[in-house]
Amino acid sequence: MHGCKIVDYKGGRNKKPLKCGAIPEASAGYKRKIRISAINLDTSEATQPSVQEEKFSFEDLKVIERVENRKAKILPFMKNVFISIFDRDLLAYPEILTKEDAQELEKRLTILEKVFQDSKNTIEERKFALKETNMYGATVSLTNGGLAANNTELLRYLEVISADLKLGQEISDHWVGLSALMKGLDKDDYKNVLDDLISGDHTVSLCIKETLTDRLKQEDFRTTAELDSSGTWLLKGEKICTNQSSYMLVLSLVEGDRVKAFLVHPGANGVQYKHNLVIFNDTPATPLEHVREEDLSQILGVSRLHTATLCRMNLSHGVRYCMDYIKPRFFSGKPLMEMPTIRSVVGDSMLCMYASESAEYFTAGLLDGYLEPDAEIEMAMCRNFMAYHGQAMLLKLLSIPDVERQQESLTMLDSMRQLALRGENEDSVNLFIGMYGLHYAGRAMATEIKQIRNPFFNPMFFIRKIVSNRHQEQDSPKLDLYLAEHLHPSLKNNAESLEYCVKRMRFACETMMSRHGLEVVQAHTELTRLAQAATEIYAMAAVLARASRAYCIGLRNAENEMKLAGCFVEASKDRVKKLLIEVIDGEYLNLDHFRLQFGKKLMESGEAICEKPTARVFW
Amino acid sequence: MAANLFKNILNVRSSNLLFKKWKGTDKSVIIRDPFGNRPQKTKDSYLQVIKMFEDGDPRRRGHVEFIYAALSRMKEFGVQKDLEVYKALIDVLPKGKFIPTNIFQAEFLHYPKQQQCAVDLLEQMEDNAVMPDIEMEQMLLNTFGRRGIPLRKYWRMMYWMPKFKNLSPWYLPDELPRDVLELSKLAIARITSVDPDTKINVWQTEEIQAAIDKTWIISAQSRTQQVLLAEQPLSEPLIIKGPYNVYLRDQVVTYFTLLGKLRQEPKDDINLDGTSSRDSLLSWIRLLEKNDNPLLANVPVIFTLLAPSSDVSLHESPDAIPDDKTQIAE
Repeated sequence: MHGCKIVDYKGGRNKKPLKCGAIPEASAGYKRKIRISAINLDTSEATQPSVQEEKFSFEDLKVIERVENRKAKILPFMKNVFISIFDRDLLAYPEILTKEDAQELEKRLTILEKVFQDSKNTIEERKFALKETNMYGATVSLTNGGLAANNTELLRYLEVISADLKLGQEISDHWVGLSALMKGLDKDDYKNVLDDLISGDHTVSLCIKETLTDRLKQEDFRTTAELDSSGTWLLKGEKICTNQSSYMLVLSLVEGDRVKAFLVHPGANGVQYKHNLVIFNDTPATPLEHVREEDLSQILGVSRLHTATLCRMNLSHGVRYCMDYIKPRFFSGKPLMEMPTIRSVVGDSMLCMYASESAEYFTAGLLDGYLEPDAEIEMAMCRNFMAYHGQAMLLKLLSIPDVERQQESLTMLDSMRQLALRGENEDSVNLFIGMYGLHYAGRAMATEIKQIRNPFFNPMFFIRKIVSNRHQEQDSPKLDLYLAEHLHPSLKNNAESLEYCVKRMRFACETMMSRHGLEVVQAHTELTRLAQAATEIYAMAAVLARASRAYCIGLRNAENEMKLAGCFVEASKDRVKKLLIEVIDGEYLNLDHFRLQFGKKLMESGEAICEKPTARVFW
Repeated sequence: MAANLFKNILNVRSSNLLFKKWKGTDKSVIIRDPFGNRPQKTKDSYLQVIKMFEDGDPRRRGHVEFIYAALSRMKEFGVQKDLEVYKALIDVLPKGKFIPTNIFQAEFLHYPKQQQCAVDLLEQMEDNAVMPDIEMEQMLLNTFGRRGIPLRKYWRMMYWMPKFKNLSPWYLPDELPRDVLELSKLAIARITSVDPDTKINVWQTEEIQAAIDKTWIISAQSRTQQVLLAEQPLSEPLIIKGPYNVYLRDQVVTYFTLLGKLRQEPKDDINLDGTSSRDSLLSWIRLLEKNDNPLLANVPVIFTLLAPSSDVSLHESPDAIPDDKTQIAE
């Protein structure tokens, strides 16, 4: 996906960038690298020593910058699934790295692995390795001394770094912060802070969330920034910040309603740390002027993708820890490894990790492979999928050694919980997914919904709708997306399961919107279900695409992947089916109405709303 | 006139001796073997010959014969497993000329000799388990067009070769390590993969003072085996068996096992060492003893080697191994 561009530093001439296939005449080293035939093998140079006059031509001073060779813009993938439109081309699974990229990546990973896999290494040694491999500048462009890594590569690095979860979180924030700075800061400001940030001595932390307000009339988002008389922006407010470092990227309100990001430099005035809070009191900050709000939210969303990877790696550490416990132990004359229950739990966690991994790299592929990608909800889905399943799986998994080793298990569970709550909790992300999806669907189906909500004004439409929805009402939608044609034939049944789920989404959205109208944003329980269903569908699509690709190109263990995909999709289909039926049934059939009432009564009365089972009315 | 002709035929010119018919093919054309006179048989010199051929004659006459000659010399130069070399050879063929332009040409083997030559090249790749890449497809397309037989061969290869590539359940890297120690680690990991709890150790015989052979030993033992060994009755001897062979692609590695044969459950530890001499096996036992198997100091060990692996004669020297109860049995 990536080509190389030759940037000519001589200002006046505007050369066209060369793609990787072409050979730039001036750089012989480059030429040698991509040689494919003996034509370029210079025999005289190889066999005889030759004296060459040294020439310094400044026209030849060139730096190779990595440019992204992206495909044309596509419609948002998962948002379209809300209206049952599926981009079948994506079932080929995105391939981002070229051979050269992959080799470079592997080299760096080997160095990192050596340091991070050895648990004896201290945090300083690990930080040193990160600096050596230029990890702190991974997202910065090559001309600025970075690695110009794309999201796919960042995920690979993060997988290795996550052996140390604290470092993993820190560097993820740093990468996200750096990409925001690259887009938003003035060129001069950016250059000024860059050296500090690349060296790894200072990192960026993200200050986005705020504590919930304790007064009714107070705004949810309270950090504000104002220009003072000397033209400096001053920040005021408090933010949640778990990873306190020297540079901070702070989101703040400007002029009442606009959101803007600011960079707070180390040692700035009026910064006060308090447990996991940072308080700003007239703190001077540099504004990120050049980035739009939508772009900023996309950039900050990458943090969610990283959270998914960190969660997954934590689960995989849990699996490894469990294996070490299981291997040398026996139960009633048999190795513990042969216990079917234990095997099934380990197998389930494998399924979970496989699905999450597929979804993460799929998302990274969407971000890296297309122009102007809109993958915000995909990233949120990755995060929620792993946070939800990861916690449940780890709990099950650690119950195996838990009786004997409570302390270690507790540490692992706690770190998983922290990751799952990194920056936000699952509910808020689910609402975000549900609302974004429904918003997109709403725009596509607005007229239709209006007509459905006014059946007596549109009698013909109403009758037509009854006829056209008859399959959906019977829970057997017509499968006309033909997804199976874009996958390996052995996955036909699973592809049809996915297709069923995708086809149900539009009907679920339609039902929800026609039931609630504009109040649909208040239907939180249904929105959450819709988001969970969409998340599962996304994981299914990613898993199927990955397994099919692996099997078609003959990767090692691809047959296992096919089975994993089959198992996952079947289990997932049942979950989606149940969730969507509950959405379509509405609050009285899915009993949400009563559950909400219980919660309400309990919270209002403050005590149990039913008597003890031993209580009697009369004796 | 006829006499002159006859004379000419009979007359063997000395320069003709430089020409010889290429033995590996049945082609009747006699060409000079350009590969014979290379002082060094390396990939670089091989590529140099190809380049010299390409530069020599702008029309590249005799390129089919050249490719056949080059193909049969590959082993000699040690490049038969190198994709880059095969690509360089395909690059010798002219682009565009062999692409059929009408249905008759496409149907009736346009440039049959050249097509056959390219197919033979691909065949040789297949025999050497070299998988072509996408670029090679592009090169073949540019040479023969999509109706060419070599393309069909290529597509079939690309269908089947990935399927066969990973059939073995024991993973090996694409290129086997050249270091014998690394190779042995792979081998022992394969042998002991039956028990996932196996721990693999690398020891140096220098740790044992009495060792004559200074070499390394790779030993694998699972925790279960360790427990069984600890329970071994002192009266029953252990047996060292070997050498056995394990094949990693075209490499062969030998190993030995330590068995307790009189019990129902066989306990075996497996080792590989640098020299496979009996002395190194003795060192192995001493090292095992040193590393958490103290019982080995008292249990007799019998060496039943299938074939003497080296000519080192082994006689017990009591002063070298003072408390040794190891028996050596031929």
